[in-house]
Amino acid sequence: MEQLVVEGVTKRFGTQTVLRRFDLRVKAGEFVALLGPSGCGKSTLLRIIAGLDRFDEGRVFVAGREVTGLPPEKRNVALMFQSYALLPHITVFENVRFPLRMRNRHARAEQAERARAALSLVQLEALGDRYPRQLSGGQQQRVALARSIVAEPEVLLLDEPLSNLDARLREGMQVELKRLHDQLGLTTVFVTHDQTEALALAGNVVLMNAGVNEQQGTPEEIYQRPRTAFAADFIGGANVLALDVLPDRAGWRGRLPDGTTVPLDDADGLAAGRRRFMLRKEAISLTPDEAMVTVPGKVEIQNFLGGQTRSVIAVGGLRLVAVNDSKKVRASVGEIRIGWSPSDLMLLDD
Amino acid sequence: MIGAVPGSVIVAGVAFAIAIGAFMLIPLLVVIASSLSGSEFLVFPPRNLSFKWYAEVLQSDAYLAAGWTSLKLAFITVLASLSLGTAAAIALARFAIPGRALLSSLFLSPLILPSLIFAIGLLMVFSSYADGPSFTGLVVGHTVITLPYVIRTVTANLADMDPHLDEAARMMGARWWQRYWLVILPQCRTGMAAGAFFVFNISFDDAVVALFMRAPDVETLPMRIYSTLEFSPDPSVAAVSTIMIGMTVVLVLLLNRVFGLSRIM
Repeated sequence: MEQLVVEGVTKRFGTQTVLRRFDLRVKAGEFVALLGPSGCGKSTLLRIIAGLDRFDEGRVFVAGREVTGLPPEKRNVALMFQSYALLPHITVFENVRFPLRMRNRHARAEQAERARAALSLVQLEALGDRYPRQLSGGQQQRVALARSIVAEPEVLLLDEPLSNLDARLREGMQVELKRLHDQLGLTTVFVTHDQTEALALAGNVVLMNAGVNEQQGTPEEIYQRPRTAFAADFIGGANVLALDVLPDRAGWRGRLPDGTTVPLDDADGLAAGRRRFMLRKEAISLTPDEAMVTVPGKVEIQNFLGGQTRSVIAVGGLRLVAVNDSKKVRASVGEIRIGWSPSDLMLLDD
Repeated sequence: MIGAVPGSVIVAGVAFAIAIGAFMLIPLLVVIASSLSGSEFLVFPPRNLSFKWYAEVLQSDAYLAAGWTSLKLAFITVLASLSLGTAAAIALARFAIPGRALLSSLFLSPLILPSLIFAIGLLMVFSSYADGPSFTGLVVGHTVITLPYVIRTVTANLADMDPHLDEAARMMGARWWQRYWLVILPQCRTGMAAGAFFVFNISFDDAVVALFMRAPDVETLPMRIYSTLEFSPDPSVAAVSTIMIGMTVVLVLLLNRVFGLSRIM
């Protein structure tokens, strides 16, 4: 059962098209990340689902009901703002009760009961009498979260939920968000530009680029099988290689700019001509074994990052970046042989 | 930081600060001291300390009537200026009104334009289109000259407001009137309080507009003080002035107690 459907939504600002016939389907209870660089249209899409922004074409359905053109106050969608947008003149408890008070579906005592329950879900029941400015940033965010879930929204939207927190709080909040989602089973859509955040939290990642749905899938699918050069680069910053594909007795070979050829795994759609391939940084070994494809290379720069070491290697007229376990890297700048498993060199769609 | 400044400069600075303070406070002290004089004429230093002029003022029909008129006037002006000014500030801050910059300078122009010129114009308008100067005319005049203060203080509030509050309230199901009443207006509280304070003081204290809009049956306290000073200068003038100073002090303390002065000015 689909809880949220966005169908062919186009949004223009003047001459600029921010969303281009965008489709999105979210099943009930899913946790979806809208991931992309700034300006890709992810925040606009969130605001359109919320009802805060109008759009030019397309339709939006929430819980099977068309909400296109319906103002936000008549949808049952909650949005947690990046700035939290807590009402500064009322207490934490009154902030959390506010959505219930506005919707007025319950008696006053019931509203108070539900607000208290929401506050205890985020472990803030003791701070109900404080004012928002008396709380830390992390606590304010938990109040905002409690306020977003208290009215049992049909869809919960989160705008860059972790970006205002420092690194230490961010990890705690990730755990909290995931726990809350698992506990309540709310259909949740969040916007982020941070790929690690998207991969860590979401059950489903929608990668957006220039107003289109570039690729959608589980974090594992998106990471392991990116379809486009953009996806490969944006998620985990893979090496993208343009190779000339040549037929060979045994299968296919790819030719590097300097003429060196490497064997290619057979893949759907592989044909002669110039094609683009992805090679993950972690897939490049500086200590190759016999099962690998090996080529000569020259390590130009090496950065020690702690557990891992990053090397920039010139190979066959290309420059590749490798990230390896520091224990497997001998401090070496200069000529070496590098290698990768044939299956790690993956064909991209474009 | 202080350590880097030569001692002579510090001494000069302190002296300067004391001088400014003195210039601001001495006139007040002179007035307060004169009010305690037992003599028949307004003199300084006071002779024969006495509270008799306070008793005189509180028993004088002319002063009491004028004081009552001024209080009514100030109160109605506060209501008018506060509602118009807050509405204007909200409209200017929230909506892309055509000619917004022009409108906002126009609303602030009474701060810059001499109120004398405005008062003359007001008198002419009321003489041509109404029955000449009147209490209503004073309310209109005071509302115009005090409007900029409310607009400024409320605009400052709105500029500090999280721009997403209104949208957050919409997401929580608040209708437009609920958003104004429960979300936007509460953010303007301190600005409205500060504005009301300015409006009350300016209206209660105004002599320029009141001079031109003086109707036979309407006399404000500043006009009463002025004509007493002109025709029979006795210490009652100082006593009334001291009462006015006292009122202002009480208002400031009240405002500070409720909102904290540093937050609103």
